[in-house]
Amino acid sequence: MDTLANLWMGFGVALTPYTLFLAICGCFLGTIIGALPGLGPSNGVAILIPLAFALKLDAIESLVLLTSVYYGCMYGGRISSILLNIPGDEPAMMTTLDGFPMAKQGRAGDALVISGVASFVGSFLSTVGLVVVAPLLASVAYRFGPAEYFALYMLAFATLGGLTSNNQAKSAFAACLGLGLAMVGLDNSTSAARFTGGNLHLYDGIDFLVAIVGLFAISEIFIFIESHGRSSALGIKVGKLLIPWGDLKRSFGAMMRGTGLGFIAGILPGAGASLGSFMAYMAEKSISGGKGTFGKGDPRGVAAPEAGNNAAAGGAMIPMLTLGVPGSGTTAVMLALLLTLNITPGPRLFTDQPQVVWGLIASLFIANFVLLFMNVPLVRIFVKILSVPPWFLMPMVTMVSFVGIFSLSGSYFDLLMMIAFGVLGYILRKLDVPTVPVILGILLGNQMEDWLRRGLTISDGDWMFLFSSPIAVGLWILAVGGFVAPVFLRRVLKRPPVPKTDMPMDQD
Amino acid sequence: MMKSDRIFGLVVVLSALAYFAGAWQIQAGMMMDPLGPRAFPMLIAAAGLICGIGILLRPDAEPEWPGARAWIGMAIALAVLVAYAYTIVPMGFLIPTAVASAAIAYLIEPKATQSLLTGLGLSVVLFVIFKYGLGLGLQPFPRALMG
Amino acid sequence: MKKISIRALLGGVALAATISGSAFATECIAPADAGGGWDFTCRQIGKLLYDLKLVDAPVQVTNMAGAGGGVAYTYVVSDRGTDADLIVAASSATTTRLAQNAYAGMAADQVRWVGAIGGDPGVIVVAKDSPYQTLGDLVEAIKADPSKVTFAGGSAAGGFDHLKPLMVLKAAGFSDFAKVKYIGLDGGAEAITQTIGGFTQAMTGDMSEISGFIKSGDVRALAVLSAEPVPGFEEIPTAKSQGFDVEVVNWRGLYVPKDISDEQFNAWAEKLQTVADSAEWKQIMADNGLAPFTKVGTEFQGWVDEVVAETNALSKEIGIIQ
Repeated sequence: MDTLANLWMGFGVALTPYTLFLAICGCFLGTIIGALPGLGPSNGVAILIPLAFALKLDAIESLVLLTSVYYGCMYGGRISSILLNIPGDEPAMMTTLDGFPMAKQGRAGDALVISGVASFVGSFLSTVGLVVVAPLLASVAYRFGPAEYFALYMLAFATLGGLTSNNQAKSAFAACLGLGLAMVGLDNSTSAARFTGGNLHLYDGIDFLVAIVGLFAISEIFIFIESHGRSSALGIKVGKLLIPWGDLKRSFGAMMRGTGLGFIAGILPGAGASLGSFMAYMAEKSISGGKGTFGKGDPRGVAAPEAGNNAAAGGAMIPMLTLGVPGSGTTAVMLALLLTLNITPGPRLFTDQPQVVWGLIASLFIANFVLLFMNVPLVRIFVKILSVPPWFLMPMVTMVSFVGIFSLSGSYFDLLMMIAFGVLGYILRKLDVPTVPVILGILLGNQMEDWLRRGLTISDGDWMFLFSSPIAVGLWILAVGGFVAPVFLRRVLKRPPVPKTDMPMDQD
Repeated sequence: MMKSDRIFGLVVVLSALAYFAGAWQIQAGMMMDPLGPRAFPMLIAAAGLICGIGILLRPDAEPEWPGARAWIGMAIALAVLVAYAYTIVPMGFLIPTAVASAAIAYLIEPKATQSLLTGLGLSVVLFVIFKYGLGLGLQPFPRALMG
Repeated sequence: MKKISIRALLGGVALAATISGSAFATECIAPADAGGGWDFTCRQIGKLLYDLKLVDAPVQVTNMAGAGGGVAYTYVVSDRGTDADLIVAASSATTTRLAQNAYAGMAADQVRWVGAIGGDPGVIVVAKDSPYQTLGDLVEAIKADPSKVTFAGGSAAGGFDHLKPLMVLKAAGFSDFAKVKYIGLDGGAEAITQTIGGFTQAMTGDMSEISGFIKSGDVRALAVLSAEPVPGFEEIPTAKSQGFDVEVVNWRGLYVPKDISDEQFNAWAEKLQTVADSAEWKQIMADNGLAPFTKVGTEFQGWVDEVVAETNALSKEIGIIQ
């Protein structure tokens, strides 16, 4: 078995004492970031990227650290959902529905244990899925030419944000904004200066890390000032932690179904973890046929969405690694990391740099076990940290962002641009414009244009090349479907009432 | 009062038109691929224009805008951040960081002592972490004072 | 040039913070982010300079990315023109861009070219099931109908990889360069993938990018553009042996500021020659798929002048520059 041999090699790469240490740090930080309302996986990972560079980590070490943070966030989000009725990040939203009622009934400990185990099941199985599916997808590598890549990017834009925003025009605008910003700088093919206004700082284009940290982290400061940092005081005590075997047994089916649905939602470019947990919860509720106690503290209502959102995190790695197209906001940030490390994700990644891919996959397995340990027996530590007040947290986030971006380029111009993106992010979020498509546009814009121009060069200017292969046509159909479907789905699936959150943008 | 989304849609439409004009002015060299450097930005502008019209014609419900006090707070925060970006090189790390963190802490929760301590504590602790933990070349104080 | 002066300032700050004490340490500027070819040049040559005791202190490598090396070039010319302790990594990409006036008005004679100590020969490859068996087959096909063949390469249109097939065609007497189709991809591996997938008919790149794919049998090399066959790949014929008088090598080397004394320039040339002759460097070249290509001092300076003039003329013929 090739796969097993590769995986073995991956463990060889990922199990050095230093990388193991990084994985543990990443898991710990990630759980905190996930648990703190206002910080989620996308901005957490974004802030840490510059620091990974400052630490002079090599490619594998940076990946281990940041994927541990990513998985950690997916675990951590549930803690504040259950204890505060405030989701630590958006995918953990569904967990509030039954998690908080359980906590009010004095079963906070049980809820934390069940959701922790569900998180483990979801992400462990989806990592296994990643091992099985990713190489299959990578083997169609050589079938992707200009037409296929262009259609694939269209698919990512069409579906991303579609289900998280309520207004298709706004999510399409967000994609245009990102693409438009990507055009700034010297044109790849002809070196023509575009939209630079003669400013030398802009000749190399807009650094996507600057945009990401600005849109995700700096905008958060404004949101907090606006809300005057509503204190997140803990009202719920966590009692004795016991393993509720009966509940675990009863919710086993829910975890498995949640995992399956979440994994599929993760693989679809753009759908992401929020959709995964939403589908998992709705499926369980309808299976119970009204006999359950959903919404009043049913353990299955905690297990299903947590399994779902964690499984989606693993699934979302697949299109990112094999095709270079992120399946969610956080994987978009991870893509930015890979590109900065000079690693081009795509079909060839599996053959060119197997040690990177399999080291990463092995570290995901390791992270899962570390996280299970941290999030079940040691969960009390994070409950304590949850009481960090915003007036301390936000200045810290700001300073870490500034120093991180500053250490990347050493340019005050980048800092000013980051602040500008922060203001833009605040306005967009107030107007319910999703920010993830903006990032995706900045990340993929130049590539998308390049593929179009390459295709037109090969076809001597014939636009019909875009539909010249079955793969390309299939992707176009999916893209159109993905863009139009939410309009109808929204009417069919009415979202259940969920508590209003302060952080509408942590789409993943 | 006019709906926020109507204004927003209008801004998007105008930006798309300006972007299109900008794309029109891109100087293409002699060597051209079939598409050239201008066409793709123009396509983006056209798509943006359609989105803007869509937003203009079918606005969402009005978002909850903050009151005057919060606006002032955010404006101050913006000024603090910009000033921080300009001073971090010439003034060294410690002083601007302390001032900026204290200001942001105060804007989130207006308690003077608490904010001051946050500012001082953060600047010193972060400096130690960044400089000695991560090995970044940071100057603690203005260069003039360092000799 | 605001950006330059700020970068210079910061470079100074960073240096002062990290190596205060060793005031005479040599600095090597890699005009790109860490991890690329220029960074490799700085780090390997820098290490050997110190290991062979040619410099007193470890060489400080500074990454100064931007404008394909233009930021570093402008900075060296305008701010460090007399600094004898500064070396800068360069390659064929540097001279190609200078020849095409891509460094905002800077010219190749504003620095001194101290030497090249290794080269990556150009190669032209096709997919394993391609109908073209020799370089001659490919050239004839293009002559018959240029629209039938698209080249893929790892540099942008007009870049070094684009020029390689054009120089071959020029040697074959074909001059309608605007008709030759070329697409630039992000690196040689991506260009090979497109060629294996049948989206493009041929690929041009450097030997080091392609050696793995040749060994795996996915592609066939039609010609290597070096003077002699490459050690380890003797079965690949040179373009010369097939009747096309073309030699294109992506050299790895250094330039230094213009206003240093001739003694200082010659001292650098000698040091570089010592590095080139060392067993350590030969091992590094073998490990990284580089072929021997040593030219130092005035010989290199003269060769660069020639190459720049040639590239400039060719670029005008293609229409990349006026």
